[in-house]
Amino acid sequence: MLTFKLALKNLMGAGTRTWLNVFVTALSFILIILMTGMYQGMDAHAKQVTIDSEIAGGAYWHPLYDPTDPFTLEDAHAVPPPRVVDLVDAGQAVPVLVAQAAIYPNGRIMPVVMKGILPQQDIISLPSAKLAEYDGPSIPVIIGRGMAKRANLNQGDTFTIRWLDASRTYDADEGIVVHIMSTENIKIDFGQIWIPLDRAQAMLSMAGEATYVSYAQNLEPLAETDGWIHRDVGYLTRDMTAMIEAKQPGTNVLFAILLALAAMGIFNSQMLSIFRRHKEIGTLMALGMTRSKVVGLFTTEGGLNAFLALIMAGVLGGPLFYLTATYGIPLPLDYSEMGLIIASRLTPIYPLALFVSTTILVSIIVTIVSYLPSRRIARMKPTEALRGRVS
Amino acid sequence: MDNKHIVEIRNLVKHFPMGGDHFLALKGISLDFAVGEFTGLVGPSGSGKTTLLNIVGGLDSPSEGQVTVLGHNLAGTSHKQRAELRRLHMGFIFQTYNLLPVYTVYENVEFPLLLNGVPADERKRLVTRAIELVGLSDKLGSRPAQLSGGEGQRVAIARAIVKEPTLVLADEPTANLDAENSHHVMKILVSLNKELSTSFIFATHDEKVMAYLHRILNLVDGKIVKDELVENPELKG
Ligand SMILES: Nc1ncnc2c1ncn2[C@@H]1O[C@H](COP(=O)(O)OP(=O)(O)OP(=O)(O)O)[C@@H](O)[C@H]1O
Ligand SMILES: [Mg+2]
Repeated sequence: MLTFKLALKNLMGAGTRTWLNVFVTALSFILIILMTGMYQGMDAHAKQVTIDSEIAGGAYWHPLYDPTDPFTLEDAHAVPPPRVVDLVDAGQAVPVLVAQAAIYPNGRIMPVVMKGILPQQDIISLPSAKLAEYDGPSIPVIIGRGMAKRANLNQGDTFTIRWLDASRTYDADEGIVVHIMSTENIKIDFGQIWIPLDRAQAMLSMAGEATYVSYAQNLEPLAETDGWIHRDVGYLTRDMTAMIEAKQPGTNVLFAILLALAAMGIFNSQMLSIFRRHKEIGTLMALGMTRSKVVGLFTTEGGLNAFLALIMAGVLGGPLFYLTATYGIPLPLDYSEMGLIIASRLTPIYPLALFVSTTILVSIIVTIVSYLPSRRIARMKPTEALRGRVS
Repeated sequence: MDNKHIVEIRNLVKHFPMGGDHFLALKGISLDFAVGEFTGLVGPSGSGKTTLLNIVGGLDSPSEGQVTVLGHNLAGTSHKQRAELRRLHMGFIFQTYNLLPVYTVYENVEFPLLLNGVPADERKRLVTRAIELVGLSDKLGSRPAQLSGGEGQRVAIARAIVKEPTLVLADEPTANLDAENSHHVMKILVSLNKELSTSFIFATHDEKVMAYLHRILNLVDGKIVKDELVENPELKG
């Protein structure tokens, strides 16, 4: 208790120097939480975008459908099971028919995946309704901004689409870009064209058929699917989950670097403090404090430093965390070109566990880095400390 | 120990490592200090005065010989026991005051009592009295940096005597003081010596201090060359 009181008095007595140390430590606290929060926010956002624009509540797949193998597409189509069709009729699911195709924009050839989707749907956040707005002879097509850039296509441009129909003969027709969507999900952008479901079914001679049916979020999966395979969100986002996990070591390194910075600041100020206060240490010993008491005093000062930093981080960081979590952080760069799903406004996520783990970790590290330099005191001779001699 | 002796020194030798060799700072000293002594170690610079005081205070250890302080043979004590001996029974006055810079005058004087766990009201009484004694009641809230040299030394004296120790070790307590302040400080210590029979051992080459001493030990080159008692020093001072 006395040690604590003395440590507090020493810190307060040191004034500006203390507050500078505390400020630096608080800054690293804030940075650690902010960076981690941003990482977590990024991951969560990428997942959410994928779910909204691609996955919804989950899907029923044709048993032969394998999105990683385009050759399965030729056979992966059928009329969905009656219960799934019921969902579609009730507006709770949307069928998608997938086929391989090639487009010829500006004389070039580009292989694409052609997806027919029911235009009037709100299951997947995709501007499919734009497909219904067109009434003309060509096939209305929606593409993503990235795709438009790569194929050098603008709204209203026409190009040839060539596809293999159910009887395995090639057919071709003219498509027209009715809408260029900006989506953060590159998976529905690059190498994909979206057309109305009925047109796709007609082109491919697959009336009423679909490759998969996505259903609304928060819908209970069907018990009976007649051989169609139920895929839940967990399955459909497994690549992404794996990617986030693969990224984890990198995040940990960053976390460790920031922690090391915080620790170095404290270690440094602690070393300096002991170096400068040799005479004071000698005096304390002459007044009858044991070495271990003096070590305890200096360690407590370091620990208190961290505690004050924690409070300051709360005072300074609290509003910052609140504001960023509420309004997001604007990002100056467009990362979509790099193939990453990153919002133009990044909203960090700060789970309670982050605060708790950071606090515990920093407290342990601070105690250690406060203690290590203080141990030198235990090796000091009182007479040499009194002379202000550096041992 | 002999009950009348607060410190007993027998054949004390102290050497410091110097290069590959040893430097002999104290060359076989035997001395007794009685309770209530007001004694000074005098001698030229480098004669070993500070070294001897440090050993008596348990801040340094003898190379050879025996030192018994307040009934404890220092050779047989741990660092912790020596710290306790200082904490409970000894006061130090340093040439350079060594006040704690972030504490006020009051807090500096209070510090030894805090270490000893003296209750708050008792603490207040003792601190107030000690500060009154050195005439600094109007500087209670000042920090060491705001004090003059003489005031700083008086705070250091108040800190050394506040717990009413059995033994005060004072190393050049007047080195940084002018004549007036030196006499003032010495008079305070003399009165303490009389009232509480606190024992004092000084290390000094200040004539003004010597004028107050009851016993003068001449130290030259690590050896006591003269041990003289002074009759009625106050009359001289
Ligand atoms: N830690 C040490 N290491 C080496 N030599 C030392 C050490 N402490 C003291 N000495 C030497 O011992 C001798 C006595 O030193 P001491 O400080 O006791 O002298 P002093 O009588 O107090 O002198 P002064 O009047 O100048 O204070 C000196 O020659 C000094 O150089
Ligand atoms: Mg000396």
